[in-house]
Amino acid sequence: MDIGRHHLALWAIAAAGLFVLPSLVGSGILRTLILANYLAIFAISWDVLSGRTGYISFGQPFLIGIGAYTTAILTKRFDVPMEISIPAAVLVTMVGGLIVLLPALRLRGSYFALVTLALMELCYQLVQVIRPDITGGTRGMSGLPTLTRGASNGYYLSTGLMLTIALTAWMLMRTRLGLALSAIGMDEGAVQGAGLSPTRLKSFAFLASAFIAGLGGAFYTHYLGSIAPRALFDITFLFTILAAALIGGSGTVIGPILGAFFLTFLLEWLRPLLPGAERYFVYGLVALLLYMYQPAGILAIIERVRVRLFGDSRSG
Amino acid sequence: MTIALGISDLGKRFGGLVAIDGLSLAIDDGESVGLIGPNGAGKTTIIGLIMGELRPDSGRIDLFGKDISPLGVAERIRCGISRTWQIPRPFANLSVIENIRIGSMPDSLRGMIFDRSDPIRERELAMSVGLAKNDLERKASDLAMGDLRKLEMARTLAAGARILLLDEVFAGLTVGEIDHIAAVIQNLRSRGITFLIVSHDLPALAPLIDRAVAIDRGRVIAEGPLDDILDHPDVRDSYLGR
Ligand SMILES: Nc1ncnc2c1ncn2[C@@H]1O[C@H](COP(=O)(O)OP(=O)(O)OP(=O)(O)O)[C@@H](O)[C@H]1O
Ligand SMILES: [Mg+2]
Repeated sequence: MDIGRHHLALWAIAAAGLFVLPSLVGSGILRTLILANYLAIFAISWDVLSGRTGYISFGQPFLIGIGAYTTAILTKRFDVPMEISIPAAVLVTMVGGLIVLLPALRLRGSYFALVTLALMELCYQLVQVIRPDITGGTRGMSGLPTLTRGASNGYYLSTGLMLTIALTAWMLMRTRLGLALSAIGMDEGAVQGAGLSPTRLKSFAFLASAFIAGLGGAFYTHYLGSIAPRALFDITFLFTILAAALIGGSGTVIGPILGAFFLTFLLEWLRPLLPGAERYFVYGLVALLLYMYQPAGILAIIERVRVRLFGDSRSG
Repeated sequence: MTIALGISDLGKRFGGLVAIDGLSLAIDDGESVGLIGPNGAGKTTIIGLIMGELRPDSGRIDLFGKDISPLGVAERIRCGISRTWQIPRPFANLSVIENIRIGSMPDSLRGMIFDRSDPIRERELAMSVGLAKNDLERKASDLAMGDLRKLEMARTLAAGARILLLDEVFAGLTVGEIDHIAAVIQNLRSRGITFLIVSHDLPALAPLIDRAVAIDRGRVIAEGPLDDILDHPDVRDSYLGR
């Protein structure tokens, strides 16, 4: 897997393309790209945990919600500057990651997934019951400070954040740690039998996943400038995150990004055709069909096309 | 002679079933012991207890004179003891070399992230159990049973094992593969590795062990040279049905 000269050139062209993009496309497309970037971050967060270790988590909205609410409350109610509230939000989300971890030390498979799903619903209920004067109750909060003004700055910030997270995750997953996490997904007992501590590895995966979710959630909130519990602790949001990772190609870093962009643009293109809720039906159907056609995801489809066009040279 | 593995008065129940019943056993450093007994005698359970995967109800286990009862699985492996499984458990989607890499990793996140793997040692380990050069990049799920058993041995050796517990090493193998595995075991014996080998295939087992222990219903019923204990009336009864 040497990075050849033409690879570097490709990356340079891609980077330049990303940089000049805002002057080429309208702000509508830029806003869609911003949403896609955040969805990609959330899908990477899911994949670092579930795509590797095989612990299928439904807890991402819970984690993202903790990050979003922490920074929203700190900035709105206590006038804490974002430079402090965002790192604080990430830390609090990592504590939340430990809460998701606890059932994973005892439960596997669908039981674990169900418990994490319950956390999401629990949060939705709690936000309304506990101090609605602080959380904003069912209506959420608006008028939060934003990090950027205008679509193109929002685009640069979200792209930079997404690429930084993606690159870090990619480098981490290329190490032996990434290998050990995938091995957990195949046979946790055999990982233990190889002298490694699955609990330590799992804890790392949960914390890394929570870190990304908290960071993404906090930035996302300060992009939107508002927070709405029903949009956050919601099954559609959860479904979109999982679908992005799965139909993009889970167990990789590039897959969830591809999936996130595909789904976000699909949803936008469907909007004028199907203005109502039936859009989500078509969208779910497309995701499902794609997944049934190629469970290894869009990445595998691209790879197959590449092989057909250029032959099976595994140079890159 | 130092005792590599000492088991005294080990007991384990599963609900109402007494799987291991006050069992004692000592294996010298560098010795190879065969563990035989009918189905359900408790052979696999003993291995699980030694490794710390199962918690005993009574008794103690010493490794080179040190009580390992309080240690977890990973710590016991670091003390130099490893097992293979009756049904091999490779990491199916990883290559042969990656499987071995998992075995040779340090059990620390920092080491996994920042230290490089040692491809030369990984190759040597693969070769030492008789895996071929062009098998190294193959996916473990594509391997035949004989190669899977070799891979498991390489993985345990990668973890630094000096005592190997082999559960039904010959199960599911062709005659040719049995010869291969036997040669690998002989080679490791000559290098001083200590063995506890569970097998139903007595002719294949015989040349690989210094002595045998026969158990039934979690108890030792005979101990000594394999030929002698096969003549033992209790052993015959246990094999012919109860
Ligand atoms: N996890 C478990 N829960 C309940 N009973 C168990 C468990 N593991 C083993 N047993 C029982 O304990 C007894 C000993 O089982 P064990 O697997 O150790 O036998 P074995 O000698 O390895 O047999 P085999 O030759 O069939 O592999 C059997 O009666 C088995 O049914
Ligand atoms: Mg058994």
